[in-house]
Amino acid sequence: MATPDAHPFEGELVLLFSRWEAFAITATEPLFSGTSEWVDEILMNGADNGVCLHLPGGPIARSALRRLVAGREEALVTAGLARGGRVALNLPPSLAYVANLLAAWRIGAQAVLLDHRLTRYEVGAALDRLGVQVVVGTDGGRGNPLAVFHDVTETISVRRGSPATTPHAVLQLSSGSTGPSKVIGRTAADLVAEIERYTRIDGVPLPGERVILLPSMVHVLGLVGGLLYALHAGVEIVPPRRLTGEGILDAVASGATPATVLGVPFHIGLLGSVSDPPKLPQLKRMTTGGELVPTAVSTAFGEKYGVPLGNMWGMTELGVIATDLFGEHRPALTPAPGIEVREAGGELLVRRPESPYVGLSDPSRWADGWLHTKDAGRVDPETGLVTVLGRLDSQVSVGGLKVDLTEVEHTITSLPGVEAAVVLYDKEISAFVQLADGVSGQSVDVVLAERLAGYKRPKRTHYAPALPRTTTGKLVRDPAVLRERFSPITLEGER
Amino acid sequence: MIAALDGRPVAEIGGQIDSMQLAWLVHQVEQRYGVEIELDDGQYARMSTVDGAVEVLREAIPAVPR
Repeated sequence: MATPDAHPFEGELVLLFSRWEAFAITATEPLFSGTSEWVDEILMNGADNGVCLHLPGGPIARSALRRLVAGREEALVTAGLARGGRVALNLPPSLAYVANLLAAWRIGAQAVLLDHRLTRYEVGAALDRLGVQVVVGTDGGRGNPLAVFHDVTETISVRRGSPATTPHAVLQLSSGSTGPSKVIGRTAADLVAEIERYTRIDGVPLPGERVILLPSMVHVLGLVGGLLYALHAGVEIVPPRRLTGEGILDAVASGATPATVLGVPFHIGLLGSVSDPPKLPQLKRMTTGGELVPTAVSTAFGEKYGVPLGNMWGMTELGVIATDLFGEHRPALTPAPGIEVREAGGELLVRRPESPYVGLSDPSRWADGWLHTKDAGRVDPETGLVTVLGRLDSQVSVGGLKVDLTEVEHTITSLPGVEAAVVLYDKEISAFVQLADGVSGQSVDVVLAERLAGYKRPKRTHYAPALPRTTTGKLVRDPAVLRERFSPITLEGER
Repeated sequence: MIAALDGRPVAEIGGQIDSMQLAWLVHQVEQRYGVEIELDDGQYARMSTVDGAVEVLREAIPAVPR
């Protein structure tokens, strides 16, 4: 937006219908990204005593959440955040995150979501690049990695930034294939449209039911498929006390109403390895997104728990694209209502009127109303079912979080003392690094830990005075050649 | 235990542990030893490598082999 007073980004939300009228979105008025109406009407509407979140400390009723949001709204406004301003949330999934996000949107500000696992360097770079005015963070460290929902006290800091320059309600950073992260923007109307898609998908948690929310609500699956959909539909969000198999099952057992576990394939592994799980009639389904689930894994899960294992495919750029929540078409998926998918040259494309990328004009990612997913796949011409076959670029999934190997390689190569680097993925991220004379791998490790979040960093790094190159001087990227060259016998300086 | 996360040979496990692998490791240790492990932030911070994780778990659970 140009000025805080302008209204240039109203998004039309067409009349939407739902099979479940009780929680359908039927707004006929235009939604304004810069106003609070959509937050109150779509997310915070409902009975005062309805439970939104069930935390280890007790249930949070909608009236309590409203009070909490009002308090954060006042604090953010006092800090100088205004309609059309830009605020970054650098918080782990927590009540503080939920309250500040809703407060920022009620103010009409643009929220920049920064994963709490990013390093200070990455956060600083993002704040500078996006011109953030107000930052909500924490004073503490990264916290307990087994916590799904964190108990944090937020801090507010003010920066010399600038108002939002786009109509988006939320900006998210996606690991970038050209080095720096891509900035992905979504308007309020687009978020509401995704929530509405969820209301029309058979197999999602219904009003009055519970969702055991495992993915981070800072990222699209946990944010829209978990938090925003649940707030809208009157589904109780129950984060487990601890991220273990027993912790997830305890969360299911903590209530009498039907419970859907929402997660990524890693979480199937946690549940699958519980040796003797109790019988839980409340468990209705587990649904995962993030990456493909091997058939053996889904079969084992079904045998152990006797409930469907659903699968979803989506992207940060637009959220849920296709689902198979009953496991009927595995590995194929049915496009979500209103979503059009086609295949071109082996790549899956999704119709998207506007480019979601901020400050990036790249026809290989969005062109002529079609978003290039960079996922290989096919669309059955008769049934319309979509099968995702894998990535066409260098993006990999680490526990459901997208990491672009090019960003990792670019970051390592730019470190002092590094002359060249090749980053590969073979069940984990590995790096092969050529060091300058007199530079130790340990010193490079220390700087890399400051520059790159833990989930993006190589699990294994091989250091050498020279990397294999082709006759024309290009770095060899063949994993077999690199593995042979850096076999444990010949390897020096590996950590 | 970390190797079991994605079925790799132990020799292929790198030295660094991310938060997901750490959660898996704690989950597996709790399953094997029938305990619930409560660690503080400082202990979790030391568990960013395989060696560090083993050291902390040995401190926390006497039954873990030395």
